[in-house]
Amino acid sequence: MPAHPTLQLDPDLARFLAGGVSINAGSASATGVPSLCRAFGCRVDPGTGRITVFFAAPQAADLVRDATRSGALAVVFSEPPTHRTVQIKGQDARLEPLAEGDLACVTAYRAAFAQCLVFLGFTEVMVRTLLDCPDEALVALTFTPSALFNSTPGAQAGTPLIPALMPPPATGAP
Amino acid sequence: MIPVRALRDCLDGVIPGVVSTCAPDGTPNVAYMSQGQYLDDQHLALSYQFFNRTHQNLLANPRVTLGLIHPQTAQQYRVHLTYQRTETEGPIFESMKAKLAGIASHTGMSGVFRLLGSDIYRIERAEVVPGSTLPAPPPAVDPLLALRTCMERLPLSPDAESLLDALLDGLQAHFAIEQALVMMLDPGRDRLYTVASRGYATSGVGSELPVGDGVIGVAAREQVPIRISHVTSEYAYGLAMREGAERQGLGDRLETEIPFPGLAAPGSQLAVPIPGAREPLGVLFVESPTEMRFTHADEDALVALATQVGGLFRLFLAELELADEAQSGTPREPPPAGPPLRVRHYAANDSVFLGDDYLIKGVAGNILWTLLQDHQALGRTQFSNRELRADPRVRLPDQSDNLEARLVLLHRRLAERQACVQLEKTGRGRFRLLVARPLELEDMDPGA
Repeated sequence: MPAHPTLQLDPDLARFLAGGVSINAGSASATGVPSLCRAFGCRVDPGTGRITVFFAAPQAADLVRDATRSGALAVVFSEPPTHRTVQIKGQDARLEPLAEGDLACVTAYRAAFAQCLVFLGFTEVMVRTLLDCPDEALVALTFTPSALFNSTPGAQAGTPLIPALMPPPATGAP
Repeated sequence: MIPVRALRDCLDGVIPGVVSTCAPDGTPNVAYMSQGQYLDDQHLALSYQFFNRTHQNLLANPRVTLGLIHPQTAQQYRVHLTYQRTETEGPIFESMKAKLAGIASHTGMSGVFRLLGSDIYRIERAEVVPGSTLPAPPPAVDPLLALRTCMERLPLSPDAESLLDALLDGLQAHFAIEQALVMMLDPGRDRLYTVASRGYATSGVGSELPVGDGVIGVAAREQVPIRISHVTSEYAYGLAMREGAERQGLGDRLETEIPFPGLAAPGSQLAVPIPGAREPLGVLFVESPTEMRFTHADEDALVALATQVGGLFRLFLAELELADEAQSGTPREPPPAGPPLRVRHYAANDSVFLGDDYLIKGVAGNILWTLLQDHQALGRTQFSNRELRADPRVRLPDQSDNLEARLVLLHRRLAERQACVQLEKTGRGRFRLLVARPLELEDMDPGA
């Protein structure tokens, strides 16, 4: 199995990802048709640095199919009041059962995202409806971050935030 | 498939859409989309603001998946698109540019959001994302019923002036639109002039805007409706008017004497062209201090109304070609008594002053000057639209000119100023000149 470059997220970024930010994830089919799904929160493993993103299974059928086929996953995190936006990509996405504490993580995310959007004039019932999903229908995709981009709107959008810590293997190596 | 109404609501910029693309090597990319525009049931446009990864990807792989959320029901949709081309000018681009300026201002992104192009996509397929939803709130006004009620009155109007009144009264009564005005195109000068308005402190009849300035000017130039839910200074008329005043020389400075009547702090604006045979006849403009006041349904209704008004205007023009000549043989009326009033005409811009008061300029100014000359020399008081159209002194830009609208403007200005000269309709395409004081006509620069 090829080694993927790993990135260690700094604590400020990890806090940002776990806050009341809008989260959307994308992948693509073998024929290049993009898939897309809104997420219900995420968790960063402090040990491995892997990111786990939660979805409603009925909404995420195409995304899960594509991401588990190729491993490729892009997740964009955006804070509505500031437009601060970060995109994290991985190449080893896989489906994992929810761990202990994940349901509480989704519950906390709903509250944080609702609070953020109510501040912008949306109703709480609107946000709660958007993020409504029975616990048993939640699924988790987990991946190792391999590239990190500043996607905040502006000319700088798309620039890598920090270089990969583990460089890819040199070509031509024995 | 998504109902068209829901798709348009989703694209209105309340909740940003999300765009998923894929590079040739299979690496996905997800980005937020500032603005989308519904074009028809097979096409939509998305704003292109930066040459970012999304744009690089779609040039290599045109497949795009767009995620949308309905702003009222929270229903999520996914629209599968294929990129076709990027437009950097024309009606779609200009309409999106005006809207994006509003969105940028509303979200604190002025100076960051700038439209480089409108990306045009073909809609391949759309899916309803399973999930909980809220019931859609009923609209405050049933737009189809309001349209029907408003439209029924328009063909009953005997002339252009009462048609404009019926339109603006109908918008107030049936759509609860309080601020509205109609501007007509002066094709020879590439300007629009106000002929009727409702809901402002002063009517602004006779005020002018250059074609291309602000939402009204762009709507006229591009022949496309422009609806802005968050009005920004970029398209506000205070600025456009100031800049216009600075650009122009002495002659045209007179126009600033009739201020544009628009709201000082509008929240929402909608400008809809009134279609003509080639160029638009004019623009119907409505605004409100409230943000997000006008919906897609309001836009649809106003486009339908403007289309009918345009058709009726052209019908009036065609009928006037068949109308009778004025009866020039009618007896001379006794000349008015009292101290004479000096009336000046400046040929440079055909402006007319009654005493020291500026009244009007352009073709309407020429019409008045022609009427007054005939009244002075021949004692005539009865005139017809048809003879004015043929009179070389009026100097209409072309034979298809909207003479009716110019007479509406002249009539309203004289009435508003309570001038000693008035026009009175005496039949279809005929009117009488009423002069209450002796006049001294003075052509200021006849050689110009």
